[in-house]
Amino acid sequence: MGNQTSHIHIYINGKEYESDISPNLTLLDFLRENIGLKGTKKGCDSGHCGACTVLLDGKPVNSCMLLAVQADDKRVTTIEGLNGGGKLHPIQQAFIEENAVQCGFCTPGMIMSAKGLLDKNSNPTDLQIKEALSGNLCRCTGYTKIIKAVKNAADKLNNEEKHSKLEEK
Amino acid sequence: MDDFKVVGKSHPRLESAAKVTGQAKYVDDYVLPHMVYGMILRSPYAHARVKSIDKTRAEKVPGVLKVLLPEDMPDKLFNCSGNPPSPLLIEDERILTDHPLYMGDRIAAVAAVTKEACREALDELIIEYEELPALFDVDDALKEDAPLLHPEISGSNVVKKIEAEQGDVDKGFEESDYVFEDTYYTPMIQNVSMEPNSCICDYTFEGKLNIISTSQTPFQERRVLAKLMGMAENDVRITKPMMGGGFGERQQLHNQHVGAILSKSVGRPVKIINTREEQMYASVVRHSARITLKIGVSKDGYIKALKAKAYYNTGAYTTHGPTVVAAGSRKVNYRIPNYLFEGYCVYTNSPVSGAVRGYGNPQMTFAREVMLNTIAKKLNMDPIEFKMKNHVRVGDKLPAASAPLLSCAVEECLNKGEEIRRRIDEEEARNSSNNDTDIKEAWGTAFCCHTSGPSSKEGMSSSVVLINDDGTANLLMGSADIGQGSETILGQIAAEGLGIDLKDITITAADTKFTPYDTGTFASSQTYVGGNAVFLAVKDARERIMKALARIYETVGDDIVFENGRFVVKSPDKNCELTFKEAVSKVTFGQKGVIITGSSSYKAEEAPPPFAICWAKVAVDMITGSVQLKHIIEAVDVGKAINPEFVEGQVQGGVSMGIGYAMMEQIEIDKKTKKVLSSDLINYEVPLTLDMPEIHVYIADGYEPTGPFGAKSVGELATVPVAAAIAIAISNAAGEEIKKIPITHSYIAKGLRA
Repeated sequence: MGNQTSHIHIYINGKEYESDISPNLTLLDFLRENIGLKGTKKGCDSGHCGACTVLLDGKPVNSCMLLAVQADDKRVTTIEGLNGGGKLHPIQQAFIEENAVQCGFCTPGMIMSAKGLLDKNSNPTDLQIKEALSGNLCRCTGYTKIIKAVKNAADKLNNEEKHSKLEEK
Repeated sequence: MDDFKVVGKSHPRLESAAKVTGQAKYVDDYVLPHMVYGMILRSPYAHARVKSIDKTRAEKVPGVLKVLLPEDMPDKLFNCSGNPPSPLLIEDERILTDHPLYMGDRIAAVAAVTKEACREALDELIIEYEELPALFDVDDALKEDAPLLHPEISGSNVVKKIEAEQGDVDKGFEESDYVFEDTYYTPMIQNVSMEPNSCICDYTFEGKLNIISTSQTPFQERRVLAKLMGMAENDVRITKPMMGGGFGERQQLHNQHVGAILSKSVGRPVKIINTREEQMYASVVRHSARITLKIGVSKDGYIKALKAKAYYNTGAYTTHGPTVVAAGSRKVNYRIPNYLFEGYCVYTNSPVSGAVRGYGNPQMTFAREVMLNTIAKKLNMDPIEFKMKNHVRVGDKLPAASAPLLSCAVEECLNKGEEIRRRIDEEEARNSSNNDTDIKEAWGTAFCCHTSGPSSKEGMSSSVVLINDDGTANLLMGSADIGQGSETILGQIAAEGLGIDLKDITITAADTKFTPYDTGTFASSQTYVGGNAVFLAVKDARERIMKALARIYETVGDDIVFENGRFVVKSPDKNCELTFKEAVSKVTFGQKGVIITGSSSYKAEEAPPPFAICWAKVAVDMITGSVQLKHIIEAVDVGKAINPEFVEGQVQGGVSMGIGYAMMEQIEIDKKTKKVLSSDLINYEVPLTLDMPEIHVYIADGYEPTGPFGAKSVGELATVPVAAAIAIAISNAAGEEIKKIPITHSYIAKGLRA
């Protein structure tokens, strides 16, 4: 295993990276240690807590349970990829407004799971939200405000879409 | 009094934006120049003697810089607890040991340039153990012929017996019409903070030790660590960055001592991050307890006497044990003329117990509330009416307490909570199509109180406020925000006290180099103890400004008051009003210029209890025994809520922890292999989104005269009554008293079959 490396080519938050890495490096460690994107958190390193959730080709995954080589030629979105141009993403904004953040350690993973849901379902029910977040452990909030924040985010995104459609017209 | 501008408003956390964008820095996010990694070899046995360690191969692993063994450690015993110094904190543990007393005890440590090299080195350490008999149950540990865990400390495995007393219980039982007795059991549970225990320790060439760590009690940790390392406190700096929860488990040293010695040995900063597995079996757990209660009542429903005999399993070392037991004795929210608490803190080879949200209270509250519910039924009284009849009110003292209560909004909590309960029932009756007679629904209600700051009244805090020349302020305080939002709360108290906006305050907290002493984040202290310190520091700054204004306006101090966020100069010829910023600019520059700072030293004289009532509604399937938790209502009296949404968030989170305690969480030890089975988050379940009922929170319009702007506390309170409320609800539905938690599915199914 020692000196063996694998070459990967990966798009992270829209940016292209090429790297020679150890084949047993997890995607989480690759993001945190090699790329320096520390927003994705390591809570258990065994796929149980969801703190390390990122989007892989748009789908939420536990980045601790994937090898970085499995993300070869794929698109990865992390929490750092959501906000841009000095503006928060509506999901981030909603988490602040609803006070859905306490210690904040589960927050990046929660937000990425929420994004995975809202990208494919713009009007989720409470149950659908709970199901989509059921792999994300939070010990602080009891989830109530997090679920409220996802609903608030859905409204924000739907309004944004309405506005942009109006503008198009 | 309600004219507040900042206090009482739900400002988002000051660091929210950093947290939602992934920019917030937790310990593991720091990378220091030349930093290396540390890992700890922990005992695989619950009790063993290390006969030999061969480190030759481990030292040869490429990248390994140092392997430390027990003999390399200072020959010192210590107590890792982050409580202020107390004779109760018996010193009985070592940094590394050749006589491990629990599975997880620290035996050796390595530092290496990569984590992989650390792991490989641990694998290459050849250790010969002699496995020794291990005791897990308090009952076994108390047997006369039981082997002693610490013969040098105690002639039995009882670390300490703690007593609290008022009146004469024997007389009370004689005067009672009925006397009841029963025994209740509560489990060991894990804190499960999302961020594992973490530290980076950097021992510099100048002989300074800088530590960045998950810390609830940086000043206590500094004291214990300085003593262990033979250093002066000014040479040890502990900084707490953003922190992923705590709930008690960082109210103590975790790995900072190992990190410090590794760093000193290799001359480089050393980072140690616990794995989740280490968190599960080698970080502190809530004391499991066996509690026997004897309660005497009169025919008309008055409690005459209560005697509690409680056994708390403290695990292999004392740590917080005796103080947890003592704290458990002090939180009884009923008028009980004759009260005797006998608490035993008992050593076993179980995981080490310590501080977990509630600190001794959830155990006692579970037993007491369940038993009072049963007694009410036997008296043919409504349990709520029975409990309210005996509940303390303003002017009463909690049993064995010295000071009368100045605030207690229990009636408002009851009335509003009951309103919510009726509304839920009405709505469900309207929408219900449930004709399944095998499903039985019921409510259960539990009452409790907790504390604002250590109930031993050891809480202390201080704060310094530096007023900038534009009238904004830099607030320095020792208190550690562990995710609950105390920096925002204390910022709100400062802003209100200065008459400026929250955005005009910049906070530096929990850094032993730059901030003043604070007892620490435990015992739900921050709003009350830390808040009073901030309240006094800004008052000091205001008074200095008033003095300076008096000089400028050539009037006496009494003619200047601070009202509604403004300084009012009331001299007959020069009436004027100045905002805080105007006043600061007036006094700062010029011939009579002064620099304004304020400081405080606050020592708690009281620890006023907040109160809570919790209602749980369950549906029990009488055939399968499965339980659906439908609603939790919790009504709380926290005094004035400085930030109502934070209070709500604390209650919701506390409820979820209470649900875990009631229904799923338990550290399990396999009796045969003597291993901790609950070593990951699959084998140890905690509530997830789909486990949660609807949570309804009511915050009473309370006011505590000794609190900052009327505030008490909330952090631990919310968790305390939940398990009892759920147990009572299930009992009410299924018809059998539940005396043991967690109420797992198999437990209920067994009960129904019986």
